[in-house]
Amino acid sequence: MPKKKLIKVALIVIAVGILSAGGIAVYMFNKPHRDVQSATIDFTLASTALVQEYFTNPQAANQKYLDDTGDSKIMSVTGKVSSISRDMNNQLVVLLQDEGDKAGVSCTFSAATNASAEKLAIGQTVTIKGVIRSGAGYDANLDLYEDVILEKCDVLNP
Amino acid sequence: MNMKKLTYLFMVPVAMLALVAFRPVASKLVSKSGHINFFSHTALEDITSNNYKVVSTLETSTGDVAFSLPMQSFEFEKALMQEHFNSKDFLNTKDFPKAKFEGKIINISEVDFTKDGTYEANVSGNLTIKDVTKPINEKGTITVKGGVINAQTKFKLVLADYGITFKKGKPSTNVAKEIEVTLNADYQSE
Repeated sequence: MPKKKLIKVALIVIAVGILSAGGIAVYMFNKPHRDVQSATIDFTLASTALVQEYFTNPQAANQKYLDDTGDSKIMSVTGKVSSISRDMNNQLVVLLQDEGDKAGVSCTFSAATNASAEKLAIGQTVTIKGVIRSGAGYDANLDLYEDVILEKCDVLNP
Repeated sequence: MNMKKLTYLFMVPVAMLALVAFRPVASKLVSKSGHINFFSHTALEDITSNNYKVVSTLETSTGDVAFSLPMQSFEFEKALMQEHFNSKDFLNTKDFPKAKFEGKIINISEVDFTKDGTYEANVSGNLTIKDVTKPINEKGTITVKGGVINAQTKFKLVLADYGITFKKGKPSTNVAKEIEVTLNADYQSE
């Protein structure tokens, strides 16, 4: 290969390298949020069992379900609808809590999924998919039991 | 109808009225989906984040007030920023999933929860972020309107006070040393 051509090829390789590195950097900086509803379910369990797991050993449960990056485990939780409310961001919040449980699993829906929460009725048993944000437990300062929090939720069809 | 019967009949509404008038006001208020926002301004970039999962209780008889917020519920426009926020280097939300505040409204006697109006509340207490607890004193506003009670506050927070420091890279230039925190919560009787 003549020297001139070799330099040309080398320059092209370097240019492509710089462009793709730049492209990856821009993509990383602007990468989209994880789509919780299309992500694979990590754990499937009953609301009572999840609450109980947090009551028994909150540290172990946090290590099991929470992630360093904030992209924590995707949960599928089944329980009885005990209340439906609306938060300050106009998202519906469905509390799954069986009778006799001190805390429940609070599931926040989104603008895209509110409609499926609207169809739910108090007392109905449903399965909801969402990302876990924090666990349940008694807080002495609040003097109440905090619920497990799931967000980006939707109802899973049986 | 004799007189005695008439007296009894009269006593029933009087007793009912008395019960309504002197019914003790439910003293513990609970908010389960309050909103907290923080805002960081530098010449290079404005960063804001919202969290709609603030839990709070307010004991109207003593002024005791507490807040608990799940750190992973803070949402950012950029996914990468949210990852940084949660990571071990910054807020370490896996090991410290909740920030807490416990304190008192020291001028609680000036707030009439039974009467519509806007009241200034002086709040004093301890804020815990990660594993650092610091005393804070801030002003807030309590609004009573038709039985609905709302609390709001806006204050500045120095990140370094809670061991959140950025020595190098983009965060050290693009994240403000002092951020503005805005909180808004609607309360209901327990």
